[in-house]
Amino acid sequence: MEATREIYWNVGHGVVLPMYLLTLVAVAACCYGIYQRVEVYRQGKELNRLDALGERIPFLLKNLFGQAKVLRVSGPGFPHGLFFWGFVTLFIGTLLVMLQADLTQPLFNVVILKGSFYRFYSLALDLAGAAAFLMLLGLMLRRFVYRPEGLKITRDDYLMHGLLTAIIFTGFLAEGVRIAVTELRMNPELARWSPIGMFVANQFSAQDEVSLRQLHTLWWWGHLLLVLGFIVSIPWSKFRHLITTPANYLFTDLRPKGSIATINLEEEGVEQFGVEKVSEFSWKDIFDADACTSCKRCQDRCPAHNTEKPLSPMKVVQQVGELAFGNPDKSLIETVGNDALWSCTTCRACQEICPADVEHVNKIIEMRRNLVLMQGEFPGEEVMVAVNNVEVNGNPFGLAYAGRGDWTEGLDVQILSEGGADVDVLYFVGCYASFDKRNQEVAKSFVKICNAAGIKVGILGKEEKCCGEPVRKLGNEYLYQMAAQENIELINGYGIKRIVTTCPHCMNTLGRDYLDLGLDAQVEHYTVFIDRLLKEGTLVLDERQFDYTYHDSCYLGRYQDIIQQPRDILHVAGGRINEMQKSEKESFCCGAGGGRILAEEKLGNRINVKRVHMAEATGAPVLVSNCPFCLTMFEDGIKTGECEGKLKARDLAEIVVERLQPAADLSAVLDTFLPTGIPQVEEAPAADAEPEAGAEPVSAETEKARETTGISGVNGKDAA
Amino acid sequence: MKILVCIKQVPDMESRFKLNSEGTWYDESDLAFRMNEYDEYAVEQAVQLKEQLGGEPEITVLSIGPDRVVEALKKALAMGADRAVHVKDDKYYQKDPWQVASVIAGHAAGQGYDLVFTGMQSQDRGSAQVGVTVAELLGFGCATTLVGFTYDAGVIMAKRELEGGSKGVIKLKLPAVVTCQLGLNTPRYPTLPNIMKAKKKEIVVQAVSELLKEAEVTGTGGMYPPAKRGGGIVIEGEVNDQLDKLMRILKEKTTVLRAA
Repeated sequence: MEATREIYWNVGHGVVLPMYLLTLVAVAACCYGIYQRVEVYRQGKELNRLDALGERIPFLLKNLFGQAKVLRVSGPGFPHGLFFWGFVTLFIGTLLVMLQADLTQPLFNVVILKGSFYRFYSLALDLAGAAAFLMLLGLMLRRFVYRPEGLKITRDDYLMHGLLTAIIFTGFLAEGVRIAVTELRMNPELARWSPIGMFVANQFSAQDEVSLRQLHTLWWWGHLLLVLGFIVSIPWSKFRHLITTPANYLFTDLRPKGSIATINLEEEGVEQFGVEKVSEFSWKDIFDADACTSCKRCQDRCPAHNTEKPLSPMKVVQQVGELAFGNPDKSLIETVGNDALWSCTTCRACQEICPADVEHVNKIIEMRRNLVLMQGEFPGEEVMVAVNNVEVNGNPFGLAYAGRGDWTEGLDVQILSEGGADVDVLYFVGCYASFDKRNQEVAKSFVKICNAAGIKVGILGKEEKCCGEPVRKLGNEYLYQMAAQENIELINGYGIKRIVTTCPHCMNTLGRDYLDLGLDAQVEHYTVFIDRLLKEGTLVLDERQFDYTYHDSCYLGRYQDIIQQPRDILHVAGGRINEMQKSEKESFCCGAGGGRILAEEKLGNRINVKRVHMAEATGAPVLVSNCPFCLTMFEDGIKTGECEGKLKARDLAEIVVERLQPAADLSAVLDTFLPTGIPQVEEAPAADAEPEAGAEPVSAETEKARETTGISGVNGKDAA
Repeated sequence: MKILVCIKQVPDMESRFKLNSEGTWYDESDLAFRMNEYDEYAVEQAVQLKEQLGGEPEITVLSIGPDRVVEALKKALAMGADRAVHVKDDKYYQKDPWQVASVIAGHAAGQGYDLVFTGMQSQDRGSAQVGVTVAELLGFGCATTLVGFTYDAGVIMAKRELEGGSKGVIKLKLPAVVTCQLGLNTPRYPTLPNIMKAKKKEIVVQAVSELLKEAEVTGTGGMYPPAKRGGGIVIEGEVNDQLDKLMRILKEKTTVLRAA
């Protein structure tokens, strides 16, 4: 007997017209709902997110049909993916039915669903339905029974789970009853290709055909109406993510990660900076709120949220939506709250993991811009002092700018202002490596590494200024641009084309942010630079074994995708890595990003202590990092977290410099071959050093000096 | 109401100081300059008073010095002053407090100022004389080292810092000069729109010679860093030995035991 089935069996072709009419009404209602929401997005400012479709469309396809971002968290991601693929298969199946019943068969007398294809079709749809049903069941258990912390249960969740279950259920029931009448006895071979349908059919096999046909009519219509209800509910429930999340993939930010709009400060007549009300955002920022599915992945990873601070990136995004849809004239800053805004470390963990490609960080920075530029507000007085110091002295410590190059004494490094423009690379030292005693060790190590590789390295010395990163992330675009312009003029003036930094914050700022302001140079982080020297053979290291755990700094790992190179270097150096649970793209911030390095951490628990404890849990005696902020935070976290003697914070450059061949530094040779597994405490180069005023010929004892100590206390995180 | 705020631009005190060739002041190379801290309190208080009075008072901010002081004037304008006067003087450091006060009084004469705010002192010279001398020259009442300021209907209530941590409150009628101390207020961070507006505000430039009619009454003989002091002494040993050693040092090296 032929393997096919009669479309509109039992319900008859008479249903075609009412079915399509009802569908039309449902689709129209859905479109109307979407249109209403589009009107709300339009409150935002213009922004072109439909350029470069050649890049956007593959990104959309990969993340929609590949569920790439969703699957990154496999627990709920896998069931969602399987459910999605199941539902897509069912949708395609329904389309084929429509295609055949209402197009190819009546017009061209072509039957698609027959023979082997129909058998395969039946099996695929049955399995897809079963998979979708099982996954839905799993997701329901997770949400309603297991209830992970932070996952809210709303009206929409009941509606969505209920509706989807009912749709699959009625589908199988209608199928089962049809099979019970048409296949179970007459064509059992074919029925086996619909295993679920056959199972259902068997439950009804005792009933007579008349009542089965009645049941079929009921379930067929039930199934149709439920599907129509589903279509209608899309814009009015979280089902909207079926449209908004894929659309958000299409609208993805194609700029390098961490790009922030550079405000044109020359523009006449602009009196509004940053964002206070939702209408001051771009439409995309409002749209993001609609793409959010409240999956709370961002919140789970937020270092502020995880240390009892009043910030949830998810909540911020949703508050944008709440105001845009409900109360657009209300102050968003007031709604979110200053404490929440200042708690962000811009670590990007939220944005990196978001399955809906929502952009959290720039929203927070835009609101901070409003606080700083429009209201002169800062997270604390210590921050205002540090910001003033950047303005006056070019560094947040308020130390004499003339002393910025003092750390180079006795080292083979050229200072460009002193006529040494003949360099292979410019080392942009940054404030911490220039002034902070602990981080000066990193700068010295890096110069020695360059020396050993025969690379001529130069610095700007006292002409160098803070790159402006912390103040920019705090929202002070004006000061950032002033500092940036001075640095850019200087660097361009020396004709520098290659820059290396030991600070990922400087690296991102010089390499990406400065592009908008006219810097044209290749900027590299020293880990990439050293990795290349090692792989080229320009630099050779002694392999001396040690156990370590490695912290991916946010601005190197998540922002720059530099994950492997530092690990490769440490491997060559003889390191045996013990990864922390949160590593690579899932690394947990040290707490110092987003300008927080300048602020006291007054709310909740200490982020740095939490991270140090994660490192301690690996059992490795050394915590290697690649960023001056991280190193500063870990030195403090080890003290306040009571890990002294168990864990040592070291920079990658310090590990490398000890293993240089031939030994460029006598102390590195004298440094004994310590047995591995024991904390190398003796190696500590001034671990308790704090930035402080150097020995100047005349130095007034002033209020300023006290304030400086205050900041160094914050940086050292052990004062008051 | 017309308000005058006198400000000075001074080196950041963390700067690396060197003596100038004359040996009477510091060399300006490698110095970072900023508004004198106490003058920031003066500007802030003037702006707060302007806000209290609904924006009616006009605030003029004045600074004496070379071209670089315009930066300090711009900051004061960004904080909320209305206009600025730059008394151009490249040799500002050769003027004594009497001359500085005379320049200010010379400017203020006939301008009809009701209230003058100054810092308690400058961070670099630290004479603390300019404010009071201006008051004397103008015949205004004066209160110094303010840590509190309220104004109501022509009367100032000034909370002053006195010796030994005590405070005094005095009433003062306009016209008056007040000098401002740490603790009076927290100077605001200028907003970007105000920084932009400040760029368009008037800065009047006057040569110091137009205003200075007085000769100096004091002069700087010389300037030098303090002599390096020796390190501390750690007295070790038994408690009794330590006491003996201490008594011997006190007797031989100090006068503290001689009066008794």
